Amino acid sequence: MTDVLWLRVLERIHGHLGWLAVAALVHPAIVLRNPKRRARLSVGLTTLMVALTWGLGAWIYPEYRARIKQHIFIELPKLGWCFERKEHLAVGVGVFTLIGCIAHLAGPTFEGESTRLLMSKLAHRAFVVACGLAITVAVLGVAVASYKSF
Amino acid sequence: MKTRAQIIVALLAGLLTVPATYALLRAYDVIYRHEANPATIIFSAKIAMFWRLGVGGYAGGMVAFAVFFLAGLNMNRTVRGLSFASMVVAAMVAIQSLLMP
Repeated sequence: MTDVLWLRVLERIHGHLGWLAVAALVHPAIVLRNPKRRARLSVGLTTLMVALTWGLGAWIYPEYRARIKQHIFIELPKLGWCFERKEHLAVGVGVFTLIGCIAHLAGPTFEGESTRLLMSKLAHRAFVVACGLAITVAVLGVAVASYKSF
Repeated sequence: MKTRAQIIVALLAGLLTVPATYALLRAYDVIYRHEANPATIIFSAKIAMFWRLGVGGYAGGMVAFAVFFLAGLNMNRTVRGLSFASMVVAAMVAIQSLLMP
């Protein structure tokens, strides 16, 4: 496989994983509304999905900068700025998912009912934020990828 | 048990510092530094996004140390503060991304 074809495949995988990660993020964002609810498997798998998507995106990002970014900014600067927005929001998605995961999994180890409740609320908020940001990231990603690819 | 909880809260605070620092650095770049038009840049060895993440990680490490000791003093209040800070950071990320890409 040539470099370009390989990058094209990785980009497609990244895009599909991204939408799957959005779908996965919806689950903890809804389920964890109830602070007593435990959803370790859901939270773990969602975090894994987001981490995979994030890692793959970070891996192909230098190639995007070298091969595509300038062309998009020349031809359609608004779309170029949309991709910049996407990358900033993606940082938020990754970190807030990780925060939600740690807060949920480690919550029961805390002493005191009120602290445990606060940790549960923190986990829920983090997943809601990550889900909202991820939806925006996915939509912007599709907009850019449908305009120009490797 | 308490030390473990302190480490977890410190880790969460450190993680939360990463996007906060990232948003502040990018906002500073947009407001105070006159960057070249991306359409005119053929190649740049420095990937600003990774640099911002690196600086955010460094700042997060320092914040984590401070929060570790704060959590030792009052765990409940520290977690409450962390919960509030998460909303502030979420707003920072959203505002910076939308208005200062």
